[in-house]
Amino acid sequence: MPGANRWLKRLGTDLLQAAAIMLLVALLVFLVIRLIPGNPAQQVLGQRATPRSVAALERELGLDRPLLAQLGSYFGGLLHGNLGHSLVEQGVSVRSLVISGLGVTLAVVLAAVLLSVLIGVPFGLVSALSGKSAVDVGVRGVSVLLLASPPFFIGLLLILVLSLQAHLLPAGGWGSGWPAGLKYLVLPALALSCYLGPIVVRAVRQAALEASRQPYVEVTLARGISPRRVVLRHILPNSLLPLITLIGLNIGWLISGAVVVEVVFALPGLGQVLAQAVTELDYTVIQGVAIVSAFVVVAANLLADVAYSLVDPRIRLAR
Amino acid sequence: MSTPLPAADTGAPGPAPARTPPGPGRMRRALMFPGLRRAWGRSMSVRIGASLLILICLACALVPVFWPDAPDNFVTAPFAPPSLAHPFGTDDLGRDVFVRVLVGGRLDITIAVCVVALSCLAGTIIGTCAGASRRRWANLAVARLVDALIAFPYMVVILVLVVIVGPNAQVGPVPRGLTAVLIAFLVLGWTFYARLSRAQAMSIRQRDYIVAAEIVGYPRWRIIARHILPGVVPVAAAYAVADAILTMGALSSFAFLGVGVQPPTPEWGAIMYEGRAYLGSAWWITVFPGVLLALTGFALSLLADGLLPDE
Repeated sequence: MPGANRWLKRLGTDLLQAAAIMLLVALLVFLVIRLIPGNPAQQVLGQRATPRSVAALERELGLDRPLLAQLGSYFGGLLHGNLGHSLVEQGVSVRSLVISGLGVTLAVVLAAVLLSVLIGVPFGLVSALSGKSAVDVGVRGVSVLLLASPPFFIGLLLILVLSLQAHLLPAGGWGSGWPAGLKYLVLPALALSCYLGPIVVRAVRQAALEASRQPYVEVTLARGISPRRVVLRHILPNSLLPLITLIGLNIGWLISGAVVVEVVFALPGLGQVLAQAVTELDYTVIQGVAIVSAFVVVAANLLADVAYSLVDPRIRLAR
Repeated sequence: MSTPLPAADTGAPGPAPARTPPGPGRMRRALMFPGLRRAWGRSMSVRIGASLLILICLACALVPVFWPDAPDNFVTAPFAPPSLAHPFGTDDLGRDVFVRVLVGGRLDITIAVCVVALSCLAGTIIGTCAGASRRRWANLAVARLVDALIAFPYMVVILVLVVIVGPNAQVGPVPRGLTAVLIAFLVLGWTFYARLSRAQAMSIRQRDYIVAAEIVGYPRWRIIARHILPGVVPVAAAYAVADAILTMGALSSFAFLGVGVQPPTPEWGAIMYEGRAYLGSAWWITVFPGVLLALTGFALSLLADGLLPDE
């Protein structure tokens, strides 16, 4: 493959850039967490703790060392995937807390992405190909209205209609396992896809309109190929391409949306871990969640870039 | 992020505006004031969106003044369903939901407008200066900082900032509990504008008329302010309308995380959060503020769509 070399070079640049951003992210988190007023050891032990026990905990947490030394051991820990221990729940590692929460959050986000693509792509395509008809106006109107309603509101409406009135699905809670746990995932994912879905509809509509105006479509039609085949084989693949970048770019917002939707549906996700850590002033957990969620976003963007360049030969061979 | 933005403006703002091609050029005209009137005449969605928006703002501003019930008064039995006297029913304490929603709207809309205006201003200036700067390191430093800040999910940043600022800190006229939220909005809000304007400024600075201005020997600030900035503003302004929708949605979600406006101050998200416990028996407490929130966003979207060129 002639472009393979260039592609590898590009991949290397992307990787380096992502690594630089992650480094900056970790540094920002380290500094910002240290802006929190008050002494963490004092906060954990309570106001009536003796100075000696505060000093002992400080030594145990390494807070008595100079800032640069703390930074060094912090980065050393990060490289080993070690995020430290929870200050409040003795003996529980931050990694296990973050991983259990992240699993739930990512499950909701991925299900929402899947639903958005499955629902959004057909609607976007139909909307683009129907010209300026009532269908187009209807699809665009509904998607604008959905985009304007925050996911937690859609979630509350879904609970009201589908679980409290129709008793179809549970109003909240979490169950693991397959497929028993699936029913807990449906409503949160549906609520969250009301944010991403309209964006998908818009992007697919735009891309399909653009693709259908390309000369090659006219040529294919003139050669007597059926319009259906033109749509499915030529217009559809071209309108799916922008979705990769779009989803990568929106992962951050989806995680934010999922954090709120989780509270509405009482899911044990990242949102709950974080909210609890904030009320308990559990610094190490806050630090861990902030770093890991930012890493997920950076990784998703990197993945989107790589996937896009793999799928689209124009990008793979360019530069 | 939600509004498809035009790839690049053609904008030659200064010397030669002889020819305005369709597309971005039209958008630029539409965002200027005479163009706004033209957009009103041309586009149905601008008419509907603007009327709806004005109606909602007027209702929030004026109706509570004349309404017989105060937002914090216990006017009648709790959980009264919607009626003529109380169009949105009453909540768990017997307060009139209608007037609470309208008073809450004042706060939501004011904050959204302020946050968007400030982030747009700061982001556009920073981004334009970085993009137009002849110092490569300044340009790259801004770009990387924006990348790192955008990597954080904003909910996470808000919660961290709440811990730092303190959930009950009060600064000036800002309602209690909102300080941390506002700081978080401003810390993150400018980044998207900076990214957009930087890209736009970088494409504009290579145009001939900028080179000409450099040769004439204008000072750098004058080139940036008079020749580059006018081409950047429309792109940022178009994003601002979409940003207002996201800001309002985010603002009203904070109540669900236990941060933001503290009770009994009415705010759309806070009212919905309070009503959530009674969703099965008294849906009106939660649904009406949500509908008004969605309608406001809908109006803004229509407005934005009408101002952007139609493909």
